[in-house]
Amino acid sequence: MVVRPYNDELKYLEKISDHCWRIKKGFQPNMNVEGCFYVNSRLEQLMLEELKNACRPGAVGGFLPGVKQIANVAALPGIVGRSIGLPDIHSGYGFAIGNMAAFDMDDPLSVVSPGGVGFDINCGVRLLRTNLYEKDVQPVKEQLTQSLFDHIPVGVGSKGIIPMNARDLEEALEMGMDWSLREGYVWAEDKEHCEEYGRMLSADPAKVSSRAKKRGLPQLGTLGAGNHYAEIQVVDEIFDKWSSSKMGIEEKGQVVVMIHSGSRGFGHQVATDALVEMEKAMKRDKIETNDRQLACARIHSVEGQNYLKAMAAAANFAWVNRSSMTFLTRQAFAKMFNTTPDDLDMHVIYDVSHNIAKVENHIVDGKERQLLVHRKGSTRAFPPHHPLIPVDYQLTGQPVLVGGTMGTCSYVLTGTEQGMQETFGSTCHGAGRALSRAKSRRNIDYKQVLGKLEEMGISIRVASPKLVMEEAPESYKDVTDVVDTCHAAGISKKCIKLRPIAVIKG
Amino acid sequence: MEVEFSKENFLLPEIKYEYLDHTADVQLHAWGSTLQEAFEQCGMAMFGYMTELDYVTVETCYEIEAKGDDIKGLLFHFLDELLFLFSAEPYLVGKKLEITKFDMDNLEIVCRCYGEPFELGKHPQGTEVKAITYSAMEVVQDVERSNFEVFVIIDI
Repeated sequence: MVVRPYNDELKYLEKISDHCWRIKKGFQPNMNVEGCFYVNSRLEQLMLEELKNACRPGAVGGFLPGVKQIANVAALPGIVGRSIGLPDIHSGYGFAIGNMAAFDMDDPLSVVSPGGVGFDINCGVRLLRTNLYEKDVQPVKEQLTQSLFDHIPVGVGSKGIIPMNARDLEEALEMGMDWSLREGYVWAEDKEHCEEYGRMLSADPAKVSSRAKKRGLPQLGTLGAGNHYAEIQVVDEIFDKWSSSKMGIEEKGQVVVMIHSGSRGFGHQVATDALVEMEKAMKRDKIETNDRQLACARIHSVEGQNYLKAMAAAANFAWVNRSSMTFLTRQAFAKMFNTTPDDLDMHVIYDVSHNIAKVENHIVDGKERQLLVHRKGSTRAFPPHHPLIPVDYQLTGQPVLVGGTMGTCSYVLTGTEQGMQETFGSTCHGAGRALSRAKSRRNIDYKQVLGKLEEMGISIRVASPKLVMEEAPESYKDVTDVVDTCHAAGISKKCIKLRPIAVIKG
Repeated sequence: MEVEFSKENFLLPEIKYEYLDHTADVQLHAWGSTLQEAFEQCGMAMFGYMTELDYVTVETCYEIEAKGDDIKGLLFHFLDELLFLFSAEPYLVGKKLEITKFDMDNLEIVCRCYGEPFELGKHPQGTEVKAITYSAMEVVQDVERSNFEVFVIIDI
């Protein structure tokens, strides 16, 4: 990394609008394109502070600030447009989390990078609606929370309860949600409301190591730990009445369920395996990057293709995983209210992937080009009339689900034409960490957090007590700041604000 | 692979590891008077993050092997093997690790992992480790002062 005094670093950064900064070439070596990031004044402070801290001479064992990581990605071969940081960006492995970048499929030098997808492949958010209102749920809230906690396996070492053997897994990896549908865990219309209809056709389970499959098998249908959660939420505010009614959300107080989870140990192992493979491929093909963690391979190399096929299998795993939990959630609600999921109108509003690489067509310099779009901690946000979004949302734009953190709000946004042009149809994914986990544990009191949640009327069930501190709202950037920035910058549009009344976490 | 062991004269090592700050993840810092010890401690540090080792009893022993292309690669694969031991059959939590072969010429490790399978209700659920990373990985070898340290960021 180039280390300059902070004031010299600032010369490479330029504020080009109220909500967008430009990172000029030269900020890091070999940048092929410029970088940019979206922030408001508060997030801007966090961003620059992180850079300032990294400029201290003689610092050991530190990590690269997000801005530097955006610039390192801009130096990867085949990148087009800009390397883009979304408002919830924070330092990550190779790519920052909240970083998106697109690579030209027709350029033989272009690369695919597992670091640009993340370890939790196809980590994403699903939103289920109900026809219940807050007043229906309040009297049984504690029981319902407990029931949901009992239905969905959460936390370290928990195992899935959906019966699965090795052969089922192979099929699930290939078929994604078509498997869930065949086995009767989801409804046919659920698929319609998922990116890629819940199945990546490029998946090839044969490209996945047996180690990944062994890690994945017991964990299918489990929520996981860390920032993953299932929340019962109520509609707190509707910004766009027309779009929200298209999603089946009619008025304030309506109850929905949000599920945030990914591909579990399966995806983690696929990513790990690919990183090891790619290290070798990089040496062979003499691909130079600014950072060893930006392991990558040419898209059309064997390693690149193997990764994309294995990644697609992991994406399918994640959809089956979220589908299994959808099934369990519907069961929990149906039992509690003594009716059927159908009568509770528990449809999937949408399901987004915020750690994924996809082949998409975009207009670059006036010409349509086929790109490999990496979104790491970034959500696809396609505008109205885009052919890849479902019929129901053709006029509203794709719903974008932005999860908050424990006890804070979540949002539903919609994609915009401006986002399509500026950010390859991408926007933020969540709150983004502000404090390290260790710092959270030291500075935040367990009882205080729980007390505060209780005050706010939020029921909570957490498998690991230390997670309560780590995931406390204070540890994260304010999701409202993040969403407001995306809205003001025009890269997506606010539609619905959701407030949690019950949280289940690992 | 499960191997036999004797519970007689079984001693637990002292703790020579800590958890350091990192925004989204956690950094393991382990040390010892030999590099071998630092590696063992680093592995135990990782298990200690997944659950509380005080609740783990030593009931069984598994042996793992790891290889690398360089010293960092060796550490990476060593930890990845341990993570796998926990993530699939036998779901083992290692309370004590003992490296029985530490071949620095061929970069090979054989390690015995003493502990028991993870069991909900008995073992508190800590944080899930997604993966081992090369991010800011450091291996400090100060032979003169017999000071060996390793730093590893694990993705959680």
